[in-house]
Amino acid sequence: MKFTIYQESRLGKRKNNEDRLAHCYSREALLLVIADGMGGHYYGEIAAQVAVQCMTESFQREADPKISDPFSFINRTMINAHNAILDFTHTHKLLDSPRTTCVACLIQDNIAHWAHVGDSRLYVIRKGRVHARTRDHSRTQLLIDQGMISPAQAPTHPDRNKIYSCLGGPQDPKIELSRKTPLEAGDVVALCTDGLWGLYSDEQLASTLKNENLMQAAPQLMEWADAHGGPSADNFSIVAVRWEDDYSESGSDNLSVIHTQTMQLGSVTTYLDQFGRNPKYKTELSDEEIERAISEIRATIQKYSK
Amino acid sequence: MAQQVNHALPVGFQLDEYRIERQLSLGGFSIVYLASNREGQSVAIKEYLPNSLALRAEGKIEPSIAEEHVPAFRYGMKCFFEEGRALARLSHPNVIRVLNFFRANNTVYMVMEYENGRSLQEFIQKNRPAITENFMRNVFTKLLNGLREVHSHKLLHLDLKPANIYMRNDYTPVLIDFGAARQTLTDDTPMLKPMYTPGFASPEHYHQRELLGPWSDIYSVGASMYACLAGAAPQAADGRREKDRLVPAMIRWERQYSDQLLEAIDWCLCLNHLYRPQSAYALQKVLTEPVGPNGTGPAAGGRKAWPGQMVEKSKTWLGQVASKFKRRAEPE
Repeated sequence: MKFTIYQESRLGKRKNNEDRLAHCYSREALLLVIADGMGGHYYGEIAAQVAVQCMTESFQREADPKISDPFSFINRTMINAHNAILDFTHTHKLLDSPRTTCVACLIQDNIAHWAHVGDSRLYVIRKGRVHARTRDHSRTQLLIDQGMISPAQAPTHPDRNKIYSCLGGPQDPKIELSRKTPLEAGDVVALCTDGLWGLYSDEQLASTLKNENLMQAAPQLMEWADAHGGPSADNFSIVAVRWEDDYSESGSDNLSVIHTQTMQLGSVTTYLDQFGRNPKYKTELSDEEIERAISEIRATIQKYSK
Repeated sequence: MAQQVNHALPVGFQLDEYRIERQLSLGGFSIVYLASNREGQSVAIKEYLPNSLALRAEGKIEPSIAEEHVPAFRYGMKCFFEEGRALARLSHPNVIRVLNFFRANNTVYMVMEYENGRSLQEFIQKNRPAITENFMRNVFTKLLNGLREVHSHKLLHLDLKPANIYMRNDYTPVLIDFGAARQTLTDDTPMLKPMYTPGFASPEHYHQRELLGPWSDIYSVGASMYACLAGAAPQAADGRREKDRLVPAMIRWERQYSDQLLEAIDWCLCLNHLYRPQSAYALQKVLTEPVGPNGTGPAAGGRKAWPGQMVEKSKTWLGQVASKFKRRAEPE
């Protein structure tokens, strides 16, 4: 797999950042997650943290190097996260259960699979247009669907923050699965919280992320959002991946492109809550990883020597 | 602080199942030893030992690594593993073969085949008359076989030069030292800078690493061929971008070698990566084409872009020479 990835979260004008995001990849699978802990409920950021951690930990356990059934993986893990949040509520005797939205996308074999609960979004942008996007589990989206309000009215509607599906909370989440979506080279898959998408139209997002250099385009979105979020700007976050052709030797190659081909089998690289800019931070090898790398190289030598 | 120098393991030292015979080379990242295995066969062993991070004092076996260097040392080890992983998958007569990989003395070792011979670098310095048209075509055609194998695994060598081309005694070349053959190590690791050798590294090596591709290795092949004929490395690519003083092979060795061979060298050495042969195969094809009656081969379709540039360049070069003469001839 070959891709460029950008992940960043900002505070906006709030005191707390309740957005959580992560991505991790093995040699043949890539997982992106974003969760927006709900303000107005206790411990929103804990719910978000639990959701993201649940997803990444399951990925680390199961990506070997692929996930055997992507949709069942996402669905099951989201339900586990929901239960983990309820357990947390119970253990800590909280009055109300913390809640969070969640979007997760799993890419393997050039196919994107995703699911969402709540109003954090996933966009697939192809050739400067929105090729696919999730439909929010929100009151305003329902009203739009019923023809009660126009899309233009949604951003200012009094119920714009009400969502009817989330992880945590008394009701079971309504997890909406996507179709299998084959990716083409140059496609951008972007996950973002309402703090970000609320400031842009779909067209604006698509045309900004059309830029070949994702490491330029995505920060541009964040910069502008920071400047135009207003006095009570919500936390806003993005995880975006630009999918590259596996077979081209180079082409639009640049330094930030991640090649998973020489990764160790069975290893997973995880970036959880990296609020910094450069995702290529150093990772230290543990003794166990060294042993594993050596035995893998030895196995390859065996395999190829006749 | 003076650059520290690592001491090699002593002769006769028993390292795993191998006995150290002598040190073959010492680099910034590693030491290579000649050793023998239990059956008494010779092998080359590469020891991961970046001298900026780990120091082996005289008479010591285990290198000492300062606490603050441990993460960087381990990170570099990751790259050493990548080299091992890359080579382990390659099984080709013109690419060095990895035989074993193990951990000892707080660091890691890669065991490679060793055969009698010497580096092309040594060879061209000692055997100038042997560098014939046939020798060149023969050696580089075979070398390109190895390079094709490397590229087909989506790897780039990135440090091709006569010193990294090993010549067996039967004149078959072997690509060695894949220490630079990785794409992930970039400028954000200050302790382990990307490696290249001036004169052989392509222009993209210096400033536009996002443009690195098979054509970058091709530049290095061209530079190595040029060095074979010249006996010294050509002008470094970054210098050529400032002021190109490289005399085209077509002009420097006119009539001493076939036009076709010389053209191929100049083709590889185009500063613009798009004008070079785009694959090892494209270059190999030219080197194996029969030489035509005037020493020129049939023009290949893919080469249409460059002769124009070549002629332009020869003209400007000739122009410069001519204008010098003119100036001399004309009274001020």
